Order: sequence, then C-alpha cells, then structure tokens
Amino acid sequence: MIEIKGVSKAFPGRKGSEPVQALKDVDLIVRDNEFLTVLGPSGCGKTTLLRVIAGLVPHDTGTVLVDGKPVTGPGPERAMVFQSFALMPWDNVLTNVAFGLEMQGVDKKTRELKALELIEMVGLGGFEKRLPGELSGGMQQRVGLARALAVSPKVLLMDEPFGALDEQTRRLLQEELLRIWEATRTTVVFITHSMEEAVLLGDRVVLMRPRPGRIDQILDIPMTRPRSTHLDSVESSGEFTAMVGLLWNNLRAMHSDVRRARQAGQAAATKP
Amino acid sequence: MSLVRRVLDSSALYRLIALAIFATIWQLATLSHKSMLIPTFTDTMAAIPKLLIPGYSGDESAKLWDALYQSNGALLIGFAISVALGVPFGLLIGRFRTIERFANLYISILLVTPMAAVIPLLVMSLGVRDGAMPTRVILIVLFAIVMLIVNSRAGIRQIDPSLIEMARCFGAGELSIWRRILLPGSLPAIMTGVRLGLGRAITGMVIIELLFIAVGLGNLIQKYDAQLDGARLYALIIIVVFEALVLIQAVRWLERRVTPWRKTTSFGR
Ligand SMILES: Nc1ncnc2c1ncn2[C@@H]1O[C@H](COP(=O)(O)OP(=O)(O)OP(=O)(O)O)[C@@H](O)[C@H]1O
Ligand SMILES: [Mg+2]
Repeated sequence: MIEIKGVSKAFPGRKGSEPVQALKDVDLIVRDNEFLTVLGPSGCGKTTLLRVIAGLVPHDTGTVLVDGKPVTGPGPERAMVFQSFALMPWDNVLTNVAFGLEMQGVDKKTRELKALELIEMVGLGGFEKRLPGELSGGMQQRVGLARALAVSPKVLLMDEPFGALDEQTRRLLQEELLRIWEATRTTVVFITHSMEEAVLLGDRVVLMRPRPGRIDQILDIPMTRPRSTHLDSVESSGEFTAMVGLLWNNLRAMHSDVRRARQAGQAAATKP
Repeated sequence: MSLVRRVLDSSALYRLIALAIFATIWQLATLSHKSMLIPTFTDTMAAIPKLLIPGYSGDESAKLWDALYQSNGALLIGFAISVALGVPFGLLIGRFRTIERFANLYISILLVTPMAAVIPLLVMSLGVRDGAMPTRVILIVLFAIVMLIVNSRAGIRQIDPSLIEMARCFGAGELSIWRRILLPGSLPAIMTGVRLGLGRAITGMVIIELLFIAVGLGNLIQKYDAQLDGARLYALIIIVVFEALVLIQAVRWLERRVTPWRKTTSFGR
C-alpha cells in the first residue's frame, strides 16, 4: 500500500519568476494489487507525483509511505517504466533487462536466468542478444517492462509508457500489460494522457488539475476483470463510453478554467 | 553483386580516379611552366623512396627517420598527456557544474587564442635547449587538450537524462552511474575528441618545429626549403600528410571497434 498524505512540491522558477507549485496538498492511497491510472492536463504534476513515489525527487511537505515505511530514495520494491524507454544502447536486451538485478548485486548467472524468463514473458524470446537500436519502439518498451518486472517489484510505476508508440503497437502493449498484470497483480501506478487508456486499464482513475497540481477527483471504473481477453468488447461497452465521457467533461472544464485564469492574469498584467 | 558493380560502387575507385586526375594536372602544369620550387609529379614521387628507404640514396633516409623519431616522440608523449588529463577533466566538468564554473574561463581562452601567437612567449619562458623536448611536449598539449576537454564534456552533456534517472531508480550509486551510463554514453564523443585532438597535435607539432624550435620534421622541411630542393620538400610533406592520415584512420578504426552499437540504428541488421 502507498499512502500519500499532504504532499507538496515546488520547483524554483526561472530567474525572477515565482516558484512552480507542481504538487499541493496531495492525499492519495494506492491499494495493494490495484491498477491505478492517473490522468490530467499537461503540467498538472503527474510526473512529479510519480517521481516523488519513486524517491527520485524529495517532496517539500507531507509523507509518502510504502508499506508503512517512509520513502527517502529509490528502493527495490518500486520499479519504473519510462516513456522514452531509457534503455542502454550499448547493452543487449539481456543485459538491459538484468540491469536492476545487477545493481542489487545479484550474480551474473542468476540474474540472466531471471532476465531470460521475463524476456520470454513479454514476448521477446530469441531477441536477448539484440541491441536496443535494432528493435522497434514497441519491442523496446517490452524490454523496459521486462527490466522493471525483473526486480520483482511490489509497485510498478509507469509514466506514459506507451505515449511514444503508434496506435496499433500501443494496443498490443496494452493487451500484453493487462495479461501480465492479471497474472501477477502487481500494484501499478500508470500515468497517461489518454482518457481511453485510463479507463481501459485502470481499477480507478485519478484526475488531477493544474496550477497548483492537485487531485481533482478519483473515479471507480466499473468494468469487470479480466479484460485482456476481450478488450474490444470492453471498449464498445456503454460503461466504457460513459466513463470516457465523464472524464472528458471534467477535463474540458479544467481546460477552460486554465484559459480563463490565463486571460485574467494577462488583463491584470496589462493594467497600469 | 557482380564484380563490375562492386568495383563501380567502391569509393576506392573514385578516390583513385581523383588522384590520377590531380597527378596529371600537376605533371602537365609543371612541365609547361618550368619552375625551380614546384617539382613535377614524377620527380616528387621519385624522391619519396630516396627519403624513406635506408641506403637507397646516401644517408638521406637516416635523416628522415631521425626526424620522424624526434617529432613523433614529442607528439606521442604530448598527445598521451592530453588524453590522460583532458578526458577525465572534461568528463568531470560535464557532470559537475560547479567545477565547470571555475574552469570555463580557461577553456574559453584555450579555444579562442590563436596558438601561433602565444608560442613565442612560451618558448621564451620554457627554453629551447637540447631539442627542447619538454617545451615541445607542453606546446603540443596546449594545442590538443582543449579538443579532448570540450568533446568529453559534450559527451556527458548529451547523455539522455532519463538514463541516469533510470539507473538511480534501480538503485545505482554515483560510481555505478559512471561505470554503466556516463562512461559508455560519452565514449563516442570522447573518441571524436581523440580524433580531433590528434589532428590538432600533429598541426601543433609541425608549426612548432617549423617556426620556433628547429628540430625534427620541421627542421628538415626548412632545410630542403633553403636548398630550393623542391622534389624532396614536396616528398617530405607528402610523407607527413600520409602519416597523419594513417593515424587518423587508426583512430577511426578504434572508434568503430569500441562503440559498435552506434552503427546499429536500423531494424534488421
Ligand atoms: N525539474 C523541474 N524543475 C522545474 N520545474 C519543474 C521540474 N519538473 C517539473 N517542473 C514543473 O512542474 C510542473 C509539473 O510538471 P510535471 O512534469 O509533473 O507535469 P506532468 O503532469 O507530468 O506534465 P506532462 O503531462 O506534460 O508530462 C510543470 O509546470 C513543470 O514545468
Ligand atoms: Mg509528465
């Protein structure tokens, strides 16, 4: 379980301008074995929230607990999948997948066995000696996923992992991820820009709003599990369309709020 | 692929044709306008073995090999020092901004100062006795090191920050980040620096010997020039250029060997 209480995070602004409040008073509980998706306009602090949970950036106030222990830095029970894949181009698939275990000091033989198992699981069997540059984007992200799963994390943190992929590849990977998740039930925090993806994958959707970055609301997704076997019928169901419509109404309101605030700001700035 | 196609496709063929055209124009021009200082192509080619092969033409080749030894000695030591100091320094300032703030002024000076203008100053204060090996080495370092510093720094800078973040996320400390991300990631740029630095070191070596400390190859060039011996002068310069090309090619080869992942960007290779 991840407990986030009263977490705020400000970044120093560029010279002269005031600090950017990326997160303000965020409270959130991520339950064990749940698939939580996070949605919101650009700049609302989604990535910051994920990096705070990962222990990559310190937060200013509040507490972040993972299974009751405060987060002070990265830890082996949390693993991340990156939008840009973040594979080492000089290492082959096997070495990339084994990287987390290598950093934990697991001996070469053991970690390569484990890595091979995961390469198989994400459907890349036979590609273990290839370099990342020889793989397509979808295959590269499968490597990224295998690398994260290889450390047997309790929590999988994913920052728009399929954002850089074309639509068909994204669909295949969504299916793959759901299939793996339904088998392992690892806790997942999954950031996305896509309303459809948020509803398709998640148990709950966290909707965030910007300036300052905070949680707007949390919505339960009614569709049953498992979904990986019939994603198409899930997507054409009335529940799905209703959820996406609800999210879009909220997001559209947010966008016009932002526009109004910007216009008000400009008007104030031009007044004598 | 047929042999004809392969020959037509090879860049060696075109290089050869370009050389042949150049040689023909050279030969025709010098034959029609006789000049003491510009030798014909054939005379120049004839002079090359005289300079290179021991015993072929008196003790001439001994002089050349002695000059090559002297010049390359300083080049080797100066270049090795440039790599040994420049690469770590460049990597450090690439990673740690505070160190860079201190160093930036000096790097800028090294980059923009026309070296030929400060050599006399340094030669005066460093001395020219006994072939002035230390002086020449220091000057070569000044010529070459900035390329290694700047390229190593750029190598660290262009590393995808998400790779470093990824490593930290999986529990890497600073040492592991260096070993697994920063060093391999900056290796291509380091090798570029080695190649450019080598070019600068060779330029520096010749300029120093030609203009300030008369030893080695520079000294020999001056001597042939004074004797109005055009064929040997041109032959010698061809030899120096050839050596430089061979060294640069060797670095390129090494570059490809140590960074094999760079050529595999397309799918299916
Ligand atoms: N390292 C940083 N330094 C300064 N400002 C930052 C930094 N990281 C994020 N910010 C700012 O904090 C705010 C939230 O950023 P964040 O990246 O968390 O948003 P996001 O919701 O992930 O956006 P996107 O959907 O575009 O990825 C933004 O205004 C951003 O400019
Ligand atoms: Mg983001």
